[in-house]
Amino acid sequence: MYPVWEVPYLSAGIVLGLIATFHILPSHLSTSAMWFNVYVESKAYRENRPELLEFIKNYSLLLLVFAYVFGSLSGIGIWYAATVANPRGISALIHTYVWGWATEWVFFIVEVTGIFIYYYTLGKVDRKTHLKIGWIFAIGSWTTMVIIVGILAFMVSPGKLPATGNFFDGFFNQTYWSQLLLRTTLMFAVAAVYAIAVATRLKNVEVRGFIKKAAAKWGIGGLILGTLLAFWYLKTLPEEAHGLINTFVPGRLKSGMIITVGLMILYFIYTYLKPLTIRFVPAILAIAILFAGIWSAERVREIIRKPYIIPQYMYSNQIIGHDISAKGVVAEVKRLNEVGILKVAPFVPRNLREIDEGNRLYAGRVAALIQCSACHVFEERGLRPMPLMVKKVGLKEVEGAESFLDGIGEYPHMPPFFGTPEEKKALATYLVSLADGSKLK
Amino acid sequence: MGIPFYPIVFQILLVLTFALHIMFVNFTLGTSFLSVYGYLKGGENWRRLSKSLVRATTLNISMAMLLGVAPLLFVQVIYDPFWYTSNTLSAAWVIGFILIMMLGYSLTYVFYLKRDSRGSGFALFGIIAFALFLLSGIIMHALGYQSLLPEKWLNWYLKGDAINPSGMALHAFQLPRFLHFIIPSFAMTGIFLMLYAWYFKDRADFEKDYIEWVGRLGAKMAFLFTAIQAIVGFWWLFSLPLEFNFFTNPFFLIGAGLGVGLLLLLYLAQKEPVKYAVPSILGAFLTILGMSLAREVLRIKYVDRFNYSIFDYQVNVDWGSTLLFLATFVMGLIIIFYLLSVAYRSGKVEGQFEASPSMHKLGRISIALLLIWIVIVAGLGVIISIKNYLA
Repeated sequence: MYPVWEVPYLSAGIVLGLIATFHILPSHLSTSAMWFNVYVESKAYRENRPELLEFIKNYSLLLLVFAYVFGSLSGIGIWYAATVANPRGISALIHTYVWGWATEWVFFIVEVTGIFIYYYTLGKVDRKTHLKIGWIFAIGSWTTMVIIVGILAFMVSPGKLPATGNFFDGFFNQTYWSQLLLRTTLMFAVAAVYAIAVATRLKNVEVRGFIKKAAAKWGIGGLILGTLLAFWYLKTLPEEAHGLINTFVPGRLKSGMIITVGLMILYFIYTYLKPLTIRFVPAILAIAILFAGIWSAERVREIIRKPYIIPQYMYSNQIIGHDISAKGVVAEVKRLNEVGILKVAPFVPRNLREIDEGNRLYAGRVAALIQCSACHVFEERGLRPMPLMVKKVGLKEVEGAESFLDGIGEYPHMPPFFGTPEEKKALATYLVSLADGSKLK
Repeated sequence: MGIPFYPIVFQILLVLTFALHIMFVNFTLGTSFLSVYGYLKGGENWRRLSKSLVRATTLNISMAMLLGVAPLLFVQVIYDPFWYTSNTLSAAWVIGFILIMMLGYSLTYVFYLKRDSRGSGFALFGIIAFALFLLSGIIMHALGYQSLLPEKWLNWYLKGDAINPSGMALHAFQLPRFLHFIIPSFAMTGIFLMLYAWYFKDRADFEKDYIEWVGRLGAKMAFLFTAIQAIVGFWWLFSLPLEFNFFTNPFFLIGAGLGVGLLLLLYLAQKEPVKYAVPSILGAFLTILGMSLAREVLRIKYVDRFNYSIFDYQVNVDWGSTLLFLATFVMGLIIIFYLLSVAYRSGKVEGQFEASPSMHKLGRISIALLLIWIVIVAGLGVIISIKNYLA
């Protein structure tokens, strides 16, 4: 077990969530933009409309700067944030999918060299060659999605991997295809919403109108198909996830997704009908709305795998809950309950290895940090604040809190308590102190 | 979970990709610095070079990040306990690194795209960008060095009898080690300039005087900073724990030998920088590779103090995914070769570049390979899905 990083009010997990969600803006742009670009570029050459190249130049500069500065860095940022928020979780993923990520990396190289060359050689190499580079980029960048979706889907539904230990059994799991097609169709809507924003800045009015209309069509198509596929995706989710969607996922996230889809369809229809009336600011606003919808969807995806970070294997708080014998992994539950979590975890003050009257409260605080801080903050406000939760459940006595901890694993979204009875008492003492305000930091 | 292939393979990939990564980190720092210097110094040559260099910086950062992904991946495969602990102990800095890089990169683009007809105050964008890149280097250095000092970890995490989970501090810094990664930036940028002169020497819009000036400047920089690097290297060597006996280690001797060889080569290059450009970059990369290997051997010594060896890792060989990577890698090399050929050849001509039939063929092959890749992977996926969920 690694040192825990505590982020007041937010939690380390939300830091990761923020970076990961931001990453979707450039990453889905990078996988989709070139498809739109090669479509426009082919049209420009076929119909001899060189004026369309003004759009190509601007759109690929956006791709170069936004997707390959902020996109690349936030992509690496996800790894870094996962490293500090949930090191054992990312470690498990990396040790399972290192070759998957290495394969994706090959395509990253193709993408990055591709976009630089595409942008800087526009008009400087013959048309056929330039289009070929565009196609290589378009296909190559979509394959990065083909790979990463396998790993993302694994985190919700690990498929047969826990039984066989085989890479592809986890990769091509029951939610893989539905998620891949869902993201693939939605990425065209992402490409479209950016293309409209870029088009608002074009000098040539005719081109501006043409691009917006074409993008609007792509957007409507992507969203309608995406919505249909979303139903398929929901159907493929494991039963436990359905339970959490019905009981635990906040209503605002669900309505966030539905309202976004509705608003975006209206936006694309309006853009199609009156392309020239859409200016830069509303176009940026549309990107923001789409972003809010994606944020909701990604949060839901995070929530429906609770209480696990990897179902059938590791809990959100990084404790290994189940054996994976094919990989030689043994669950830690028994050992933690017998020996004690404060004795097993290495980054614990030495004087807390044995709990007594004098250090009980602080031992409880450290146990809470290890077991609870992945999903709760200890402040009065913020992400699922512990003091509020404790008050809500009505924990006033240490004994009562201990019984509560005994049954905590019964909640479908909560891991059980791990540790010795003495540690449970310490954690109970700390929880009660949170409720009565005598919190110790 | 164990690891899906033999640790030595990950170790070799770690050494190789780190060498590629640090080379572009060096290019980034050096070109970023020199572009600001040239901008402020002014004069026709320096302004022109400055513009080329800042454009190169944007490309260099992208390549540095891209090539950094691989060693970041492989270090987590074979040195996970060290890397993760070091990171969580300085977690705020780890997140800060990303934000700092984003800001530095954005400022570089501003410095590149908006520079025409600006005064010297505009250099501030470039200066801050360079400072941010240097700060990123400090963070990465600290994370790397902290990971080698497990004996200090618990004390860093504790404040007396309490824990300090804020992740707000960087805990370790070793000046000679840090400088040994930074000083080569200026040597490598010298070689970068030699390559620049070599590449553009035949283009009519690049005057002979300018090309010669750039080449000579590059050769001078490369030699001077390689010499300084040698001194810093010995400083670092003597600051290492004596028990390592590193100065007699064959891997250190290989690295140092390559360094001396490079210095000689650069000495010869002073007279004809353009002619020596390609041998110099090859020599420099070989030296970096040697250094990267020596650094790995040093890490083995550090972690061996705690009886850690990557060869004790449980191996669950997964042939399927290993082959997927290897096949994709070979395919990627072909496609990247095509892309770089287009870039290389088109940059050599002034007007529009017309690709030869064989180039077009290579382009078609590249696209076909990508499509074949998708068909194979999707086919595999369909078969596995049917087997697991429908059969």
